[in-house]
Amino acid sequence: MTIRHLFKTSLTGLSTNRSRSFLTILGIVIGITAIMLVVSLGAGAQNLILGEVQGLGTNTIAIIPGREPTGPTDVSALYSDSLKDKDLTALQNKANVPGLASIMPVVIGASSASYDSNVYQVSIFGATDLMASIFSLVPAEGQFFDQSDVLSFSSVVVIGADVATHLFDTQDPLNQNIKIKGRNFRVVAVLPKSGGGSLFNFDGMVIMPYSTAQTYVTGQKYFSRLITQAVNDSAVPVTADDIRLTLEESHNITDPTKDDFTVQTQQDLANRLGTITSALTWFLVAVASIALFVGGVGIMNIMLVSVTERTREIGLRKALGAKDRDILSQFLLEAVLLTVIGGVIGIFLGSSLAFIVAFALSHFLAINWTFIFPWSGAILGISVSAIIGLVFGGYPANQASKKSPIEALRYE
Amino acid sequence: MTTSTNIIEVKNLKKAYHDGLEATVALDGVSFNVRKGEFVAIMGPSGSGKSTLLHLLGLLDIPTSGSYHFEGTNISSFSGNELADLRNRKLGFVFQSFNLLARTSVLENVKLPLVYSGVHESKWDELATRAIESVGLINRINHDQSELSGGERQRVAIARALVTDPEVIFADEPTGNLDSKSGKKVMGIIQDLNEKQGKTVILITHETSTAEHAERIIRLIDGTIESDVKVKNRLTSEDEYVK
Repeated sequence: MTIRHLFKTSLTGLSTNRSRSFLTILGIVIGITAIMLVVSLGAGAQNLILGEVQGLGTNTIAIIPGREPTGPTDVSALYSDSLKDKDLTALQNKANVPGLASIMPVVIGASSASYDSNVYQVSIFGATDLMASIFSLVPAEGQFFDQSDVLSFSSVVVIGADVATHLFDTQDPLNQNIKIKGRNFRVVAVLPKSGGGSLFNFDGMVIMPYSTAQTYVTGQKYFSRLITQAVNDSAVPVTADDIRLTLEESHNITDPTKDDFTVQTQQDLANRLGTITSALTWFLVAVASIALFVGGVGIMNIMLVSVTERTREIGLRKALGAKDRDILSQFLLEAVLLTVIGGVIGIFLGSSLAFIVAFALSHFLAINWTFIFPWSGAILGISVSAIIGLVFGGYPANQASKKSPIEALRYE
Repeated sequence: MTTSTNIIEVKNLKKAYHDGLEATVALDGVSFNVRKGEFVAIMGPSGSGKSTLLHLLGLLDIPTSGSYHFEGTNISSFSGNELADLRNRKLGFVFQSFNLLARTSVLENVKLPLVYSGVHESKWDELATRAIESVGLINRINHDQSELSGGERQRVAIARALVTDPEVIFADEPTGNLDSKSGKKVMGIIQDLNEKQGKTVILITHETSTAEHAERIIRLIDGTIESDVKVKNRLTSEDEYVK
């Protein structure tokens, strides 16, 4: 039997029972659709998160107070006040960390801000002028505060778009004074709306020099973060090590496992977030695979019915000279064609749905979400459905090929 | 009669079916020869073992004991695939219930044995068309088999049996599902195959009138040969066309 004729025979077998063939592959279609959707959305989410993270610059190194807890009882990991002025001084010393290009202390707090009778709960972000370049912040109006404002503890603020609308409504906020903790702060710049999809939402933020934030808002003498930049990407690992050693010395720590701070490069963060999203994606793929398995059992069931129903046809083919392997390949190919057709439909449906979701997210929620055609999911889908056809079609096809021609011809 | 002209030689052929503890003997020691080009009818009441004999002769089943030589070769050691190959090249089957493929055209039905043969695909259409022409259905070649009458369907089955140019045609009650007029036409075609093309024909029937187309009638009762006689007043294919 030629391959061409084998295909023809199997396709004829399937098309004589179109509606049943369609219902049979529904399980496979649903399974593959789910897998495609999950893989595509997972890739989209990963892309979004990594894009945000890498947008901060791959030479960025963050120093976070406290170490990663090694377990639920590791309470001492949470030293939130371990980064202080002396650390800043030590790190700024070129002899300690030669690869360090710049360093920005960050102070994070929350407070209510008011203008006239309007009150709005805001996040306070104390930083330096480096903030603008690290986060690529371009004010819609006004100018970001500079180094001299930081040194002189100036009461100046840059406000997010939501803060501006809530406090000033339609008025121009520039050079107006807003009140935080009873003190007046002059608005020097307003940020454009950044949207909800961004990893860092600046819309509800009030940004001021960290020195000002420490003195007048949080009242703390320590930093929430130290954000540093290495001179270039290749200097990141060495610089991160230098930072660690410098801080250990400054904190009198000899055992690195007892560090009361964490040095995190953007690459670390990207890797970690990437690992989390792919683990989540593949977990969901595993769940969706249950549908595929159920679909496979459905295929086997229908193929067994079909083999019984076509007992006479099998007998006739054998009487006319069909060998066992001819019958085996005919029924096996029918099963594989069914599942692969199901797989192709699933790939089409799944990627269409993912495209619609991507379109909706980017157009209606203003999230910077790009549709990704999941090639890995498509290849996986096609091969998994073909394997399901082989595995679940194998038993019925074998039953068919083992029928004796006279028993098959006698069957009514 | 020499051995070389015998296409089929069976000796002491036995077939028993085991159903639980009991064994049913369907064929109990049958011996006879069939010459090349002979037209033999096998008759007998139901349960006499005639269908079992046809299955054994047609290589569809294997005997419990006894020997079967086809064209001088003992086929008892043949594998299932070798038997399938032999069936495809040397034997043609016509069944009582036609056994055509559903929702399939006359041409595709007739081509079916060629699918499993070594014949190159480029020749299939030509061979099938010729076979269909020989049973007088060339004007129906692209019709679905369900659009044909019973007699026409059986003629399609005959064309299918002929398409590989076999040595022996096995016909199992070919007129059993047909009205007498169609039945006669079918028998006329079968007889022509024997007389004009020299095909060996083995016919199973329980109707004496149908069996009288043959040269020789073997009667079976309870799995043994009751009689094996030549037909005296044999019907001719022309007789049938006149009637």
